[in-house]
Order: sequence, then C-alpha cells, then structure tokens
Amino acid sequence: MAEFDFSNQRALLIEDMAEARILQKKMLTDFGFKQIELAMKAESAIELLRSNTYDVVLSDYNLGSGKDGQQLLEEVRHSNLIPNTSTYLMVTAETSIEMVMGAIEYQPDGYISKPFSQALLQRRLLKLIESKQKLYPVNEALDNKDFEQAIKEAADVVESHPFLESKCARIKGDCYLELEQYDNAIDLFQSALKERKMPWALFGLAKAHFFKGNYEEAESRFRQLMLDNRFFVNAYDWLAKCLVKQDKKKEAQTTLIDAVEKSPKAILRQIELGELSSDLGDFETAEMSFRRAVFLAKHSIYNSSSIYFQHLKSFIGIAKESELSGRQVENFKITLKKIQKLYGENPKIKSGAYEIEIELFLTQDKVNQAKSAHQMYKQDIELGLAVPETKRFKNKLEPLLGEQSEQDEQG
Amino acid sequence: MSKMNKVDISVILASSIHESKNAVGNLMYQLQTLKSEFEGPSEQSDKINNIEEGLKQLNDEWVEYLYLFKLASDGYDLQTDSLQVSEFLDDQVFALSQSATAKDLSLDFECDESLMASFDERLLTSVMSTAIYNALRFAKKRIVLNAAIEDGYLVFKIEDDGAGFSHTEDEETNFLENNTGLGLYFAELSAQAHANNGKQGFIKKSESSTLKGACLSIYIPQ
Repeated sequence: MAEFDFSNQRALLIEDMAEARILQKKMLTDFGFKQIELAMKAESAIELLRSNTYDVVLSDYNLGSGKDGQQLLEEVRHSNLIPNTSTYLMVTAETSIEMVMGAIEYQPDGYISKPFSQALLQRRLLKLIESKQKLYPVNEALDNKDFEQAIKEAADVVESHPFLESKCARIKGDCYLELEQYDNAIDLFQSALKERKMPWALFGLAKAHFFKGNYEEAESRFRQLMLDNRFFVNAYDWLAKCLVKQDKKKEAQTTLIDAVEKSPKAILRQIELGELSSDLGDFETAEMSFRRAVFLAKHSIYNSSSIYFQHLKSFIGIAKESELSGRQVENFKITLKKIQKLYGENPKIKSGAYEIEIELFLTQDKVNQAKSAHQMYKQDIELGLAVPETKRFKNKLEPLLGEQSEQDEQG
Repeated sequence: MSKMNKVDISVILASSIHESKNAVGNLMYQLQTLKSEFEGPSEQSDKINNIEEGLKQLNDEWVEYLYLFKLASDGYDLQTDSLQVSEFLDDQVFALSQSATAKDLSLDFECDESLMASFDERLLTSVMSTAIYNALRFAKKRIVLNAAIEDGYLVFKIEDDGAGFSHTEDEETNFLENNTGLGLYFAELSAQAHANNGKQGFIKKSESSTLKGACLSIYIPQ
C-alpha cells in the first residue's frame, strides 16, 4: 500500500459516544490529519457539511436518538452535500449492517465494524482512498453531472484496473439512467446479471424498466429483490411506485406500510405513504404518516412547510367522517403551533395556517370558534402579517361562516 | 413452560450477547487509549497486549454467535458483493497476525491476485476468523489460507501443521459440544447460506496435503 499524506486532508468525524469519538479523533490525528471536525449527531453534521467540503467522512451508524448514519448519508448524497470524490466510511455494528447494506440506493464507500484498531482503520482508509484516486476522473465527472464523460472515464478505469469492473459497471448503469438511455441501461444491467445475480444490477434493471413504462417487468424484479433480501427497503418504495402507475393504489399503500415498519425513520417514505393514503381517503393512516414526517422534518433538509400543511389537512379528512378524539385535536394544535413558530413571519404561510384552522372548525361545526379565528385572520391581513384570503377560502369556506348575513342584519 | 417462552429466551440471549459485545468493544477502546499513553516496562505492555488479544477474540466470538443465531433462526439475509479475493485474505491475515505472532506461529495466504468472486464479505470474515482461531489452537508452526476456483466454486482453505481433525475431534456426536464443533457448524451454515443457480455451498474437513495438519475447505458457489 502506498504511503499517503493526510496532512492537507480535511476530515469530519461523526460519533455520538464520547469514548469512541476521542479515540477515533486521536487515530485520525496520528494518521496526519491536521483538520478534523467533530459532530455528535446527524443534525450538526449536516450543518457542517452545508458549509464545508471534507475529503474524508467517518460516520457511525448509531447516532443516538436523532437520524441514524444511513439517513444522514442518504440526505447528504441526495442533496449533493458531499462530492463523489470524497471518501465516506461508515462505522457499523453487526445489528445495523443489514439496514445499511439494504439501502442499495445510497451506500457509503466502505464499512468498518466496531470495534476496530488504529491499524485496521488506517488500512481501510488507505485502501478506500487508493480506489477513490483511481476513480477520481469518474467521480469528478459525476460531481459535474457530466454523465457522458463519467461513462467514458469509467471505461478507461476498467482498462487499467480490471478489478474495479463491478464498481464501474454500476456507475455506468446509473449514468445511463440519468441520461434516460434506458435501453443502454437495460443492456448493461442484464449483462452484469448474466455473470452473477448482483442486487445493484437487478435494482438498476428494474428501474430502467420502470422509466421505460414497462411496469409489469419492473414490478416482478422489485418483488424479486424483496424476496432475496427483506432489508432492501428501497425495492419496496419502487414497487409502490409501479403499483401506483398500474392504478393499484391500495396495494401500493400496503407495500409502503410494510416498508415504513422496517425503516420508520425515512421521511420521504412517510410523506409518500401520507400522500397515497390521503389519495385513498384513508386519513387515519395519512395523519400518522405526516405526523411522523413532521417529527422527522426537524433538522432535515426535507423540512418544508408543505409537510406540516399536509398533516393538518389529514385532520380535516378525519373530521369529515368522525369526531376527532382529544388526542387528535391536541396533535393538530401541536403541528399548527410548529408552523406558526417556524414560518410565522411568512404572510402567505400564516394565511394558510388560518384557513386550515378555520376549515377544521367548520368541519367540526364549531362555527363560533371559526368566526373568531377569522376575525384574527382579518386583523393580521390588515396589519400585513397575512396575505388576503384565497379564492378557495372566499368561495367555499367564507359562506359557511355566516358572517355576511350577520352584517346584513346589523346594516 | 410454553413454546413461546423458549423462542423468546433465544432472542433475549442474542440481544444479551449483543450488549456484552458492545461492552467488550468499549473495553477495547479504553485499553487502546491506555496503551497509547503507556510508558512502563515491556513485560507490562506485553500483558496489555495479551488482554487486548483476549478481548479481540472474545469480541470475534460474540460476532460469530450473533451470526450463528441469525443463520440458525433463518433470519440472516445474505449480502453478496463481487470482491478481490486476495484482498479479502490479506484482510484476514492482517486482522489476526498479532494473535499468530503472540503464539509464535506464521499466518500467510496464497491467492491469485486477479481472482474476483462473489460472497458475503462480513459473514465470511467471521467464518475465517473462527477457523483461524481454531487453527491457532492446534498449529505447531504454520497456518496458510488459500483460495481458488474449483469446478464453479470459490474454495477457501484454512490449513495448519497441527495434529489434524482426526486426532482432535472426530465423533459426530460431540459435534456441537466443543468450540471446534460449534465453529464448524457455523462454517457449514454460512457456506449453505450461499446459493447460486441451484448450487449450494458446503464445507469439507480433510488432511492438509502440504502442511499435513487439518484442512478446512469452504465451498462457495459462483
């Protein structure tokens, strides 16, 4: 193994246990790293990754009560917070490895099992960096979103380093998908599968069929992946997409409920299940999913006001069919408060919150409460804290308040 | 008591093993910190090394038992990947070279550098370490690992120059009654978990043709 100079490299160490963090930092210092930043949980790691670029990220899978290491990885990969040229090493325990390996869509560059010695970490890191250096032109092209170039570079890398063939084939296949060259993708994944049933190739093949609109072909392959390994949760997500396309929404919902049970912390999956359930008129399930999504949204890059609104709307759906329980009313208020706290200074969102609150009161036949909320809403509009009522509100909800007739009586 | 209680106790044991394993890991971290700051006489640092060795072996055994539990209760999903076999063997030698040196044994591997094969790296890491720890107990001077493709199977061999299987334990009846037996059972389940195109993995015990001791072969279908 070649010597490597770590002194100009910048490392991010993410570990929640103090003992391990101190020791790992010492190890990295001994390797020669001059710049090492520390994060104790995923949320602070995201903040650091937003403003800095690291050459090496060493992250534990277990990060306490917040997001786990895999969710962190998915978020930072999804939002390009970490370049492909960086090296991402995940520290796992035997119990977590299935979840990590199961997430075939977003994987770290390497894994190391806890506990590890300094010598082993150094060896792993050097090997990974060595392979990253060979793949540098490929990853650089990926970072530039130049997928044509990445395919060319990957072919060159295989020429000089045949043992990187599997890795390069996978990258090429994913590039074809990005370029929407689905026939090329299908050819590539199929020939990879001829040699051996590799999960990534089967997954890529299924996705290519999905994008081509061959939903049945795609479906059977996603199902195969689920049979091969219960932990391929991404396959559940894609199967649900196939089923929705084939107008089997109820089945899609069941699939997502399964996936959510296996991996409840994935926010995008919770949102997907929430939307699908609303669509099916199953507002109880929708409410539960959006409630979890709201909880997970805190400190997430997917934190947007629409999640909160969707959660609130699900209560209206429930209230139309039956009376809300005390707990449900409480949950509605909690999310409403969260919106006001997070987005209260945005007049448009403030209006949205008022309208949904009024709509829920009206659905529950609480006209007086609806009226007083509307009074506050109007005051805020005058003060410029909220924007004027939407057309939908004026046409559909305002008439139900019976305010117009009151004014008539007074006049 | 009911059947339900029996099932529960094995799950509880598995999770207790996991807790213990974490505790061992924590001790290893503390010991590493201590070791890096230690400046005493070499006999004492030898003792620290021995404790470290012992803890590592304990950790590796707990890992084996956790996998064994999953394999035996039908709850393990294989994670195969295409890997450079020589690098895998190099990793195994690296991980246990300190243990071998402590016993004055040589531990090497032989493998064609261009050999690529598919298998579950983590599971086989545990199988190899189990087999090597076992060989460390019986070898006189040498342990050699090798890997090659034979007839559509990737074959890992762990050979030593000890007394061989026939002298240490042969009785099928006490197969599971000692450490070696349990280790072999684990290797067998792990090999069987690998299946490809209708072929299933298996293990074979024999005499080493080169070292004259035990030879354990693990067949992984490709």
